Amino acid sequence: MNAHSTTSAAALHMSGVSRSFGNRPALKNVSLNVPSGAFVVLLGAAGAGKTTTLRIAAGLEDTDEGSVLLNGVDADGLQPKDRDVAMIFDNLALYPNKTGYENVSNPLKVRNVPRDAIDQRVHAVAGTLRIGHVLKRLPKTMSGGERQRVALGRALVREPKLFLLDEPLSSLDAMLRVELRTELKRLQQEHGYSFLLATPDFQEALAVADTIVMLVDGEVRQVASPQDIYDAPADRDVARFVGAPEINLIPATACATMSDRRLDLLGASFITAPGFADIDGEFEAGIRPEHIRIEHPNNSAIRAEVLDIEPLGMRSAVTLKASEIQLRATLSAAKAQAFSRGATVGVELALDRVLAFDRSTGRRID
Amino acid sequence: MSDRPLTMPLALVLALAVIVTLFPVFWIVMTAIKPPTDWNAVPAIWVPGEPTLVNFRTLFDPEALGVYGVGGVSEAATQAVFGSLLASIVATALSVGIGLAAAIAISRYSGGGRATPLVILSGRMFPPAAIAVPFVIIFSTIGLIDTYFGLIAIYIAVTLPFSTWMLKSFVDEVPKEVEEAAMIDGMTRVKAHLTVTIPLIKGGLFATTLFIFILNWSEFLFALVLSYTTIETIPVRLAKYVTATAGTLYGVQAALAVLAMIPLVIAGFLIQNHLARGMTFGAVKR
Repeated sequence: MNAHSTTSAAALHMSGVSRSFGNRPALKNVSLNVPSGAFVVLLGAAGAGKTTTLRIAAGLEDTDEGSVLLNGVDADGLQPKDRDVAMIFDNLALYPNKTGYENVSNPLKVRNVPRDAIDQRVHAVAGTLRIGHVLKRLPKTMSGGERQRVALGRALVREPKLFLLDEPLSSLDAMLRVELRTELKRLQQEHGYSFLLATPDFQEALAVADTIVMLVDGEVRQVASPQDIYDAPADRDVARFVGAPEINLIPATACATMSDRRLDLLGASFITAPGFADIDGEFEAGIRPEHIRIEHPNNSAIRAEVLDIEPLGMRSAVTLKASEIQLRATLSAAKAQAFSRGATVGVELALDRVLAFDRSTGRRID
Repeated sequence: MSDRPLTMPLALVLALAVIVTLFPVFWIVMTAIKPPTDWNAVPAIWVPGEPTLVNFRTLFDPEALGVYGVGGVSEAATQAVFGSLLASIVATALSVGIGLAAAIAISRYSGGGRATPLVILSGRMFPPAAIAVPFVIIFSTIGLIDTYFGLIAIYIAVTLPFSTWMLKSFVDEVPKEVEEAAMIDGMTRVKAHLTVTIPLIKGGLFATTLFIFILNWSEFLFALVLSYTTIETIPVRLAKYVTATAGTLYGVQAALAVLAMIPLVIAGFLIQNHLARGMTFGAVKR
């Protein structure tokens, strides 16, 4: 939670922010930090509170509790126009009666930037986003991707202290999405922009973020670097959200024997590495699909039946059943071709990569 | 617009609708140009053999019908035309203005809570006749009877529920994020309403204005009971073209009615282009 120290230079610092709509809490005690020049991603499912967080930062929504600092200045009572932020709305919110050029130039026009300077900026941004051809057109004549990029242009045309991006790449096709997110990352790094980007797409988050803030049901569950959030998720919900195919969760038991510690799962027993030293009793073992290997049945303690093989391109996802529990494993497509549906195989687990979760709280046990 | 061809039965239904709608208009226009002998001739004269403008002249010169031996028209309609224009224009402008502010307040700020729109509409949930008499008494007491101020006040009160509800539906159609984007671009909330939202509901604003104007322009009951001698409107004047000697002056009534139609017909043509829906298309992902 307190992965970042509080510095006054942070582009955005939220602390203890709560917000309810009626009696439905949208945000519960949310604290987060966007250091100046950092790319922070708010990751969470629909309804997790991402949009509300961005709207509070922009001044479009009030807080019930907590404080919001922008560049170290208390933003309480500051109007959106005085916050020096840019925002891309989830639904884009272009001006439907204005051309692409007028949409992109509006923030500068409203702020009385001279016409020449506006023209120069708009064309620079249009070049970056490749929207030169739609500058004279109305939004209704643009494709979804063009509208998305015009909305991006309207945000990027200024150089505000903080960019708030609400699922800015969601309506683009896969190719353009990957291309534009690389472009966003490049722009952010090149200009030292501070980005707070909300997305439900963990791959996008992993690809661009310096820091990921994981929101679940209006709560910040984890603040960590992309690799850490994948390797050491704070709890079961985070582990399930980050990673595809989803992490396998298997009931397991750890107990001390005379000389060693024993780990029981999937009907097999293992003498464990010291990783499970603190656990005594039942817990939930989380095993990522890539940490399951498929072997010849004679060589493994765990046997499983192959239920399904799903090609993912370079790799294949194999659904297995062992001790009445379904498992998903990913392996190279070439290797997967050796098996067929209904075959009996042996399963090897990378025990050192197994994550342990408390059965009731879901927290990860170190 | 569908490209389906107009089939025979459809064409017949359409023709019937057009005839039913336009026949009164045709009859009024014809009557307006008939000399007094043709007004209620039996059998009916559909198109006058000798069209005349004498009925129109009578509106502004009460003696004009004298050439046909018809007298007894006491007053010109000038004051009624002036009164209708004044009351309708001022009341419409204020009703639409206040209604627009209320519509934005309700749509964007849930102004007054969730019940507000219904409370506003409740002002129209009883027949106007039910409040006409109380208003005569109240207005007599406070000296507003027989004044344009009083008539305009009533017109605003009576049309405000319509203007508020109609405009609210148009404001609701503009995504609030478009206004918010303008605020982040650097506008105040009020400026965003004025320069972003209002241009986007232009068509609705025109339609509402025309509708409210028609209501005010054709209002009869309040104008009748709240006017004595100082103020008059066209609908009230229409009812007064009855003489002791010649009975009802149908031709003069028709002439005034034709005159009263002109501003509405012009306004109707003017706003046709603005009535197209879908002004906000392209603003948001759908």
